Order: sequence, then structure tokens, then C-alpha cells
Amino acid sequence: MTGKFSRRSILRGVVGGAAVGVALPNLDMFLDGNGLAYADTGAKMPVRFGTYFWGLGLTPGRWVPETVGAGWEITPELGSLGGGLEKKVSVFSGFRVHLDGRPNLQHWTGQGAVMSGLAPSKIGTFNAGTFDLDVSRAIGGGTRFRSVNLTPFGNPKLSYSSATGTGFNTPETTPLSLYEKLFGEGFQDPNSPDWSPDPSLMVRQSVLSAVTEQRKALLAEASAADRVKLDQYFTSIREMENQLDVQMQRPAPAEACFVPGGPPETRPSGRIDRVNEANSQMAELMAMALACNQTKVFNVVHTSATSEAYLEGDSKIYHLHTHDEPVDPELGYQKVSSQLAELAFRGYGEFLRALDRIPEGDGTLLDNTLVLGYSDTGYAKIHSTDNIPMFLGGHAGGAHKGNMHVVGNGDPVSRLSLTAQQLVGVPVGSFGVGGMETSKAITEVMA
Amino acid sequence: MSFSIEPLKASVAGLALLGVAACSQPAPVIEGEPGVVNARRITESQYRNTIDDIFGEGIEIRGRFEPDMRDEGLLAIGSAQLSITPSGFEQYYSMASAVASGALNEERRETTVSCTPSDEKAADAECARATLSKYGELLYRRPLTEAELDALVAVTANVADAQSDFYAGLQEGLTTLLVSPDFLFRIETAEAIPGKDGAVRLDGYAKASRLSHFFWDSSPDAELLAIAANGEIHNSRTLEAQIERLTSSDKSERGARAFFRDMLQFDKFATLNKDPQIFPKFSLAVADSAQEQTLRTLVSHLVEKEGDYRDIFTTRDTFLDRTLAAVYKVPYLGDGDWVEYTAPEDANRDGVLTHVSFLSAFSHPGRSSPTLRGVAVNEVYLCEPTPLPPANVDFSIVNDTENVELRTVRDRLMAHSLDESCSSCHDLSDPVGLTLEHYDSIGQFRMEENGAIIDVAAEINGKPVEGASGLAQSLKEDDKVPACLVQNLYAYGIGRAAEPTEADFLEAQTNKFARNGYKYPDLLKQLAGTPEFFGFDPIEAGATQSASNKSNTTGGHQ
Repeated sequence: MTGKFSRRSILRGVVGGAAVGVALPNLDMFLDGNGLAYADTGAKMPVRFGTYFWGLGLTPGRWVPETVGAGWEITPELGSLGGGLEKKVSVFSGFRVHLDGRPNLQHWTGQGAVMSGLAPSKIGTFNAGTFDLDVSRAIGGGTRFRSVNLTPFGNPKLSYSSATGTGFNTPETTPLSLYEKLFGEGFQDPNSPDWSPDPSLMVRQSVLSAVTEQRKALLAEASAADRVKLDQYFTSIREMENQLDVQMQRPAPAEACFVPGGPPETRPSGRIDRVNEANSQMAELMAMALACNQTKVFNVVHTSATSEAYLEGDSKIYHLHTHDEPVDPELGYQKVSSQLAELAFRGYGEFLRALDRIPEGDGTLLDNTLVLGYSDTGYAKIHSTDNIPMFLGGHAGGAHKGNMHVVGNGDPVSRLSLTAQQLVGVPVGSFGVGGMETSKAITEVMA
Repeated sequence: MSFSIEPLKASVAGLALLGVAACSQPAPVIEGEPGVVNARRITESQYRNTIDDIFGEGIEIRGRFEPDMRDEGLLAIGSAQLSITPSGFEQYYSMASAVASGALNEERRETTVSCTPSDEKAADAECARATLSKYGELLYRRPLTEAELDALVAVTANVADAQSDFYAGLQEGLTTLLVSPDFLFRIETAEAIPGKDGAVRLDGYAKASRLSHFFWDSSPDAELLAIAANGEIHNSRTLEAQIERLTSSDKSERGARAFFRDMLQFDKFATLNKDPQIFPKFSLAVADSAQEQTLRTLVSHLVEKEGDYRDIFTTRDTFLDRTLAAVYKVPYLGDGDWVEYTAPEDANRDGVLTHVSFLSAFSHPGRSSPTLRGVAVNEVYLCEPTPLPPANVDFSIVNDTENVELRTVRDRLMAHSLDESCSSCHDLSDPVGLTLEHYDSIGQFRMEENGAIIDVAAEINGKPVEGASGLAQSLKEDDKVPACLVQNLYAYGIGRAAEPTEADFLEAQTNKFARNGYKYPDLLKQLAGTPEFFGFDPIEAGATQSASNKSNTTGGHQ
């Protein structure tokens, strides 16, 4: 029985750790009733935050700009960030995962380290909860959803957002399912002239309150591991209660909010052009959801870390190409893999562009948003966790300069996770565990 | 830690010495505190089966269930560690509303509600209480407390009065039951054993629930709940009789299907990708039919005919529908639905490893993979997981299909296995997978690859093996195969992997399985009859109070 007990002890440890690392439950008190403006100034637009993962990294020699500091130049695989978008994006090279004695779990260690602040011990779980939830606790109040998860790849297991490291927040897997979540039943058009609270919401509130009455009794007599699970469940109920509270109030008008039409039903495909099509549709929906104040936090997984995406008519998937394709002696890199890397990374650029098309205040929605782009590896061919490509897109309401290239010189990837949190206003001084622990934000990109 | 391992060890060893696991053996003493010792999220099929059993078939359940997690080879182990996320809860809520509405629609209302409200346009506490008490017990797998019932009746009354509709109120009462943790999780409680200081056991309801989920993949029925209530379930004779009843019920087919869907990793089909340019025949319909074919074969052979488990690798008796007949390239003689089919001796379709389900699930989208198939055989049927490959490996040779010297997958794998860091694992998986190379990525038979004749000879465990039929024969004779089934079924039932200390217990169970002729229903019965089947990880004395204070700091919400 030792194994079982040690697992429980670990969970207990994680709980202890999480309790220390978790930000204060919310900063709602600083916001006005609808979370649209800070109560003290009444004017500032809300800052939104997203993470964006794509599998298999980028190709060494094909993405890192030569320019360090401001004004980085477009490189072959970063083409999708061109045309002026690069002014709003910072590039981070040379950051790596410190394993602290744990194995390099291929296609799992990278995302675990970025999101949870330490290299995971085991494939399928992280050793701690992920920081996007700290962000949503800090800035996600006042909207219908604390956070929204999605993947254009169609696999409901593709999510790296987790409260405890065990069990990941389920993503929407098609444009239609995302549409239904955001704009289907329960959506209230903030610009509609007629509004009255939906009586069914009160019914729902009474159901939920009857369920939560059981909470104390159930938690009091449960073992530690079960308590973690049940507590997560009650947290999910609390989120729905928050949603209902928001829906019971008249939504504040949102200038840029325009309720989109529903996309057609589609079956997810692994063909890279189809993945990118779904990505663009989902980006449009997500942008509008942010503009309509449905959420302030989102997580996207474009492709899995062992990406099964493929080029039309090609019998090999992307993941196989990265391992089997020889380095072209003349070009000095893997030709097809680099083509696929550029295509996969295009998803991030397209996502940022969708946000940048929405006007907001004096600028665009992207100016009030920060999207951390990251991958699992610095070189997929050899599963390297050095030089993991990472990006910050959007100005975070003016906090992020953009257009910077910072070289990490082997610093832990957690420095960027910490920086992202601070840029969007999470009151956190350090992030990560062991060799990944850092209190050094990347101040070069802070305005 | 107050849990004493020694008595369990001694008891297990005792069983092993006797070579039996009789119901009459005294239960191992487990010391600890009463309380919740397990909360396992119910699976999609358990949810669906339970709703069918309680409200009758035909209520449509549309929605997305939370994804499962595989650990130690089984979803039953991984998902036992999972909870419900915010977006998952939204889905469960809308499914609950739909089920409650379906159960109370005009057609079903009279069947569902046995009392008549005094006024359909107002609340009726008595009728609501009777109805919610009945369904509450079935859904929670235990009777409701008075306080719980009071809260439910209050919800019902508020809504009924507000909407002048008794049934609208009742619908919300049912919805509350269906989104409650007591339904969405199988909550197991330990109770103190009367007269034995400090000793605890699963309470009767937890035992009933373990049994019904193990045999039926559903919640306990009224009869099981009744013997849980009066304590008879703790009596070994009563337990034995119930195990007989559970086994002989028609519902046991569902139990077998659920277990094999898990063990054979059929969850892979939810996201299985095949390149339509290379395999235009593959579709969602093929994926669905492929799973159904294998499940029908297993249910027929193992449950209905009570055949020898080891014969699943060799039996040519199976089932086909029109969709699969096209993939197998055999004439379809049915009228659109499933028909029994026995493959001819020379058809190269011996046993479940030659089914489309196995061959397509463990292949790449555009090509077969001896490694994936070999790893799967070792993991699924022999319980021998393969370690992760080393991080820095050059696979260029293996997958270069344009290499004129190395035309078949075998040539390419052989070249790469010269590397010692690779060969230590590949030597275990590749020979197994190479015997199945006569089947492409979706399971179609072929003799050639890139113009070269495919060689399906291999050496497994030091013996020469030729093709799929050779592999089938070698697995049939492998002692690890039945031992692996015992290990998986036990872990599936109790929701965690067997501990190293339980090796003797598993060995004794495997021996008994052999003596009984490797009959699957007998194996279920013998496992459920052991005290170990009702084992659990107890709560240390004093742990609940201190930990419950701590729990207030997790999750971020109160």
C-alpha cells in the first residue's frame, strides 16, 4: 500500500504548495460591478490574458532573430508575425527547462514546466496547478466565464490548464461547440436595448445552492485525495454560480461587441490547413467573446505536442517527420519539418490578428490583451527542452512594450510565466519550484 | 499511519497457501477512521446505464462527458483520480436538466412519479418527498438523509409555486440529484466494524456499488440496496447469492463491454485519424463498427458461451456488418445489420489481433507500425509496459520510405535496432508487431509493401513465430496472458493498480482462473468473492479534522 499512500502524500504536498502559490481569490473589489472598468478611474479597459500552445516547437536556425532588444527582424518561420504585427510581439529565445533530476518526458516536460513552474514527474499529470488559473482568479471576475479552453485539433484531452495538475480543463473542440458555449444559451447581448433577468437563472441558483449545502459535511469526512477531487468539483459549481451572478445583472454596453453568426458543424481534421481553418474561426469567436465581455482568460492548444497534423496527401504525420527527416545537407535543416513548423506556428499569428482586428478604445483588443505563445521543445528531432520558443503578443493594456527580442542564456522558462502574470496584474512575486523557481521577471519587456 | 499492512499480508499469504480465495476467509483487518475513502467520478457508460436502469431506456443524453485519463493501463485507475472541471460541470448540468425533463415529460410522467399531486399547479411536499426519496436513493446509491430531503423538497416547492407547476418543481429536484457529487462520484464510505475497536470496513452501500459497477457497469438496484440497508451484504452467503444473481443477469453483458472497452483502449477511436487520401475506406462508421465487432466477439465467446479466455486470440468466429465486410473484402450476406461470421481457415483472420479494431487503433494515420502494435500487445494483453524511448534518437532510417535499400518497415526497423539504446526495448515490441505486417494501417490484408514481399517471421521469447496465426498461438500458450487479465480485472474493480504486496493474491486468483478453465464469468465471481475486492485505503486516525481545515485553502473559492 506504500504507493497509494505516497501518492496521497504527494497530493497533500501539492495542496500545501498550491495554497501558498495561489493568488488572492480575486481582485473583484477593485473592479466596478461589471468588471469593465476599474472603480477608481472608471475608464481603463480590462486586460485579458491567453496562452497559446503549438506542438513540436520551431526549427533551430529558422526562427531566432539576430537582433537582440528592440526591433527584431522577421525570420523564415516567424513570417506570420509580419506586416506590422511584430510591433506588438516580443520573442524569447534561449530559455530552457531545468529538470531538477526528473526525466525529460518527451513532448510533456516543456508545457508542464511553462504552465506549472516545474518539470513534471510523469506523463499525463503536472506536479502542480497551472498559472493561467491564478490569472483568472486575479482578473477573470465580472465575466460569464472565468476562463475558456479550446483546441482546433478536435481532441478533448488537449488542454494544459489544470487546478491541481491532475485532470485538465476540458476544451471546446470545434468552432460550433465554442460558438454554442459563448453565444448559445445563456448569452446576453450587452448592446441589446431590451433586458430583463431570465427567471430560469434563479431556478438554477436554487439548485446549485442546494448542492453546495452538502459541501462542508462531505469534505469534513473525506480522505485527503478525495477532498482534493471534491473541492475541485465544488469550485466548478462556484464558477457556475459566478456566471449566474453576472447574468442576473444588466450587461454594460460593449462598443465592439457584435454577435457573430453560428459556424457550420464540422468534423475535426488533422490536415494542417484544416486545423488552421478551424483555428481562424475559433480565433474570431474568441476575439468577439472578449469584446463582448464573456471572459477575460483563455487557453488554446493548436496541435498536440506529438502532433499528428499532416500535409494534404502526405502519409507521414508532422511528429514522424521531425524524427525521421534527415537534415538537408545543403539547407542545413529539415525541409518538410520546417514547412510544417511555419504552418503550425501560423496559428498563433492568426489568433493575434483576429484580436487585432477588433477596435477597442484608442487601439485594438490586442492592445489590451497578452497572449503567451509557447511550445514543448526547442528541437523536436531530439526532444530538446533547451531554447523552447516563446512569445508574448499584445500590449496588455500598455504594460508590455512589444517588439523586443530577449535572450535567456539558459534561464528557466518560468521567468516568462512569471513575467506574463505580472504584466496582466497578478500580485505574484515569484513562480516555479526548485531550479525553476524565480523571482526575476523579464523587466526588459515591461513598459 | 495507522493502517496495518501486516494482517493483510498474512491473510493474502494464507489464501495463497490454500490456493483458494474462498468467501469464508476472514476479512483482512483494516484500521482507520470511518469516513469517505474513495470518490471515483462515474464514467460515461456508467452514467448512461444508470439513467437507463432508473428511468427506463430512451431518454436522450446529449452532451460531452469529461475526458478520461489512462493510468497503469486502465481508464478505471486514471479516472478514479479525476474531478469535474468548470466546463465539464456545465455539460453535466445541461445533461441533468435534459434527463429530468425527459423523465417527467407527458409520456413518462406517470411511470416516473407514482403519487398524484393534490394540485398539479402547486407544490405538493408529500408527493415530491416520496419521489425524490425513491430516486435519490437509486442515484446516490444510498438513502438520503432527512436534511438532504428537506433541501430538495424546498427547491421543488419554490419552483412549483413560482411557476404554478408541480412537475416543473419536481424537475428541478431531480436535476439537483443529478448534478450532486453523490451521483457524479461513486462515494465510498468506511464504517466502524461493530465490536472491533479501530477496525473499519466498507459500508454496505459502498460494497453494493462496487459489485453493481463491476458486474453491470451501473448503480445498484433495489435488491442490492436492500441488503446494504439491513447489513446482510456483510454475510458471505448472502454475498455469494448476490454475485450469482449479478452474473446471471442480462446486464452482465454491459459489464463485460465496459471492461473490455477500457482494457483494449477503445477510447483511442474518439480521436483516431486516418489520412483519407491514403485510406478512403476508413470513416467514423468503420471505427464504430470495428469496436462493435470485437465487443460482440468477446461477449459471445466469453460471456454467452463461457469459452476459454485464451481462445480469443485464435477464434475465427466473429460478427460482421456491411461496413466492415468492405474492409475485410468479404461478401456480406446479411440484411444490413450484424450477422455471425466464421472466417475461412485461410483468410488470415485468427482472433482479436486480426480485427480492424486492434490493427487500426495501433497504427499511424498513413501507415502500419510494428512498434505501436508490439507495444500494445505487450501492454494490453501481457501487462508489460514499454519504457519511454531515450530522448535523443535519430529515427531517420526507420521512417525513410524512399530508401531503395530498405523498402519494407522490417528492413528499416532492423537497421535501427543495431543501436543498443533502441534495441533493448524494440527487441521486445518489434518482433511481435512484425508478425502483423500483413495488415495495413486500417487492417486490410496485404502481401507486399512498396513492391517487396512482406516477411512476417519473427522470434518471440526465443521461439520462431510466423505471422498473425503464429503470434496468436504463442499468446494462447503464454501464462502471462491470463495473469494479465486477472490483474486488470482486479484493478478495474477496485479502482487502483494492485500493489506489489498483492502479488501472492493475484497469483492465487490466476491459479484458480486456470483451474476453472479460464472462464471469464467465473473469474468475475471469484474476484468479487474475496475480501480484497472490498479493500480500500483507510483514513488515518485524526486525519480528517486537520485536513478539512486545510481544504479551505485549496481551489481558491469558498
